[in-house]
Amino acid sequence: MAKPATPSPDHYDPQSDKTPLVELKNIWKVFAGVPVLKGINLNLRPGEIHALLGGNGSGKSTTMKILSGVYIPERGDIFIDGQRRVFHSPNEAHKSGIYMVPQEPHIFPHLSVEENLLLGLDIDVGEAREKITRLAQEIGFESGLSEEAGSLSIANQQLLEIIRGLLRNAQILILDEPTSALTFREVEHLFNRMRTLSQRGIGIFFISHRLNEVMDISHRISVLREGRIVLAAPTSELNSQKLVRAMLPEDADVREVERRARSAQSREASEVALDVQHLSSDAFQDVSFQVRAGEVVGLAGLVGAGRTEVAEAVVGLDPHARGRVFIKGQDVKKPDARRSQSLGLVYVPEDRHAHGIFLDLPSLYTMTATILDRLGRYLISRKQEEVVGDSYREQLSIRMNSLYQIARTLSGGNQQKVVLAKALASKPDVIILDEPTRGVDASARQDVYHLIHRLAEQGVGILLISSELEEIVDLSDRILVMYQGRIIQETQRADISLQKIMAAAFGLQGEASL
Amino acid sequence: MSRIWRSRELLVFLLLILLVLVVGLINPNFWRARSLMHILNSSLILILVSIGEMFVILTRGIDVSVGAILGLSAVILGVALNAGVALPLAVLLALAVSVLAGMVNAVGITFLRVPPIIMTLGTLGVYRGLMLIITGGSWIETIPTSIKFFANWHILGVRFFIWVTLVIVIFTALLLRRFKKARYLYAVGDNEEGARLMDIPVRKTLFTAYTLAGLFAGIAAIIFVAQIGFVPMQAGNGQELRAIAADVLGGVNLTGGVGTPLSALVGAIFLTAVDSALVFVKVPGYWNNAVGGAILLAAVYLDYRVRRAVAAQQRQARAAVRKENNHLNPSTREEQA
Repeated sequence: MAKPATPSPDHYDPQSDKTPLVELKNIWKVFAGVPVLKGINLNLRPGEIHALLGGNGSGKSTTMKILSGVYIPERGDIFIDGQRRVFHSPNEAHKSGIYMVPQEPHIFPHLSVEENLLLGLDIDVGEAREKITRLAQEIGFESGLSEEAGSLSIANQQLLEIIRGLLRNAQILILDEPTSALTFREVEHLFNRMRTLSQRGIGIFFISHRLNEVMDISHRISVLREGRIVLAAPTSELNSQKLVRAMLPEDADVREVERRARSAQSREASEVALDVQHLSSDAFQDVSFQVRAGEVVGLAGLVGAGRTEVAEAVVGLDPHARGRVFIKGQDVKKPDARRSQSLGLVYVPEDRHAHGIFLDLPSLYTMTATILDRLGRYLISRKQEEVVGDSYREQLSIRMNSLYQIARTLSGGNQQKVVLAKALASKPDVIILDEPTRGVDASARQDVYHLIHRLAEQGVGILLISSELEEIVDLSDRILVMYQGRIIQETQRADISLQKIMAAAFGLQGEASL
Repeated sequence: MSRIWRSRELLVFLLLILLVLVVGLINPNFWRARSLMHILNSSLILILVSIGEMFVILTRGIDVSVGAILGLSAVILGVALNAGVALPLAVLLALAVSVLAGMVNAVGITFLRVPPIIMTLGTLGVYRGLMLIITGGSWIETIPTSIKFFANWHILGVRFFIWVTLVIVIFTALLLRRFKKARYLYAVGDNEEGARLMDIPVRKTLFTAYTLAGLFAGIAAIIFVAQIGFVPMQAGNGQELRAIAADVLGGVNLTGGVGTPLSALVGAIFLTAVDSALVFVKVPGYWNNAVGGAILLAAVYLDYRVRRAVAAQQRQARAAVRKENNHLNPSTREEQA
């Protein structure tokens, strides 16, 4: 409008008032009674690269899944070229020109590139082939059309997906964290392609956790937090600090003061319970850290940064891990979960259903699973088993009808406590908790926090993995932040702040002066 | 890797030639055209059942009822002929029953969402039971010779049913290669979620696969009755496992998406040739099952190893990407300074 266009090296002018390709108005989405999107308003103009930013669970992916027809919103409208649309399936979204390239490309690994592209498309093969050749050239897709799609690099699989979208005349592309599995060079290539597409008038929603990439490629950035858009502005008006600040909860400063008010005890003097030296595997490189007796060490980072993989390697579940692990000074030598456990290290995995609990058996059986050899010489002594069960039931205030209640029928919080009871029953010296409060209600959450404090007081070393930064910041004596498979920051208790940890989780370092 | 995988049929074919050569050295009678023709002739039933099973395995499913469908169709054919139904009509009736039996599986799996192994294990029992109910448990004998004529009819010196099977193999091979919708079978088995997103009719495709498995078992049943001339109650017994073995041996991937009718053809001939070879090297007949089972194990193990090798390769590729990243990607610290 009246605003003078700022001179930009880019062809795209974010202030332009072209009609949006797509407009989302007041979108609400509820999962299991919990609202995850609370009135999202978002639009995309022709030729615009619009980045969506936010922590894990902020609602970016849910929003995009609604736009691409995977989810149906509880409330709100989608307008395509000014017309209201409702999508019940991805196919309906395709027909309106919306194509989503998922994080893991949905290719058919055993079919050829051409077969992958033509599948489900009702057009003449000759005509399609011509179109494919043209698009492939335009996009810089250099693999042969007869190659097996499974043999392509992830980067080329993504390009294949993009061509698939363009073949369907997509006007709106959604790229969900396309760069997370790419090399530096491949990212450059992808960005150049995105710029070409943008020049053709195609609008792109771009999801990424890498702030520098977002600053580099996007025209506009919207930041989501807890299901709301908390910041939306042209990229030229933003910087990394502003973005990180927007992603933090509003009461961050208040909490900071509260936290500091609590006395910080120093654990420097106590003995080293867990010592990890130069551990590397596929998903992470050169990870070294120590956990002292009675210390809570937080391992922070975004999903996919490699935290769970590190935990699994430390306890000996990753046969490909290289490096050394000492438990109370004892060298574990090669990966061996059984030996780690006998040395006093236990791991409480993230997915308790898959790895931690016997869902269809009495809860007591899970609690005593690792200490059966202590419950009688040849046969299991029921009496001794119940004594153990009762003591943990009381300590952890597990709410169950009886020790023999089937675990599946317990609430999520109580299931988690059963898993913790199992871990504690073996009297560990070091315990690794991976997302201990995921899917746990508020009161059980407090119980878990109390337990962590109590264990630390008893001298147990704790490595706490959590995606909830507040939780990690509140509980930890020291915080390690992982980013793309490396520990990029270590912060002592006195220096811990939400901002600092958040910035590091997004790959920014040394920005204490935010 | 993928190139070797693709030529798995060739590999088994070479093994087959090796088998013929070695057994021939021990007993030269094996080398006679007559013996080889005999092997081919006795493998026809397994070839057809294996192709039917292949459709299902391509979609990442399994059908253990095809042997029972073969038996049931054979009973229908035998009973119809004995009741004086004209040959063409009796054949059509048997085929219709086999298609229907396949469709029952398909309905259970696609609409009621019963897992394939459970659904077909159930119908395996039902169809075998139906055979006994229809016949009262006795064999069907004294079948009119009109049908046996076809088993001995030679065209250009080659048996009629060999021609029929050959035509079917070529036809299905072409169909799977060229027909657009046939590709859905591969797509669904390769990446079901992706297929759904591409708006490929996943249910329809699965439905077709199980129906075709039934139809092919029905065709096999006709050859069975013509060749043997009577229907014992064990007709088709264990045929489903031999078919799965033949498919896997020929290169049909149990995890879906890979395989051709040629795989089924080569695998089925190989398994039959092993049976005959045992006779020629004078191993008693009761060894057949044990050797067949051992070959199945070897085939499945091979399948597993190949998949593991592929997975390891992909893992290494990913690790290489990360390594390159760490080389090229200037550390974030410098960039943000």
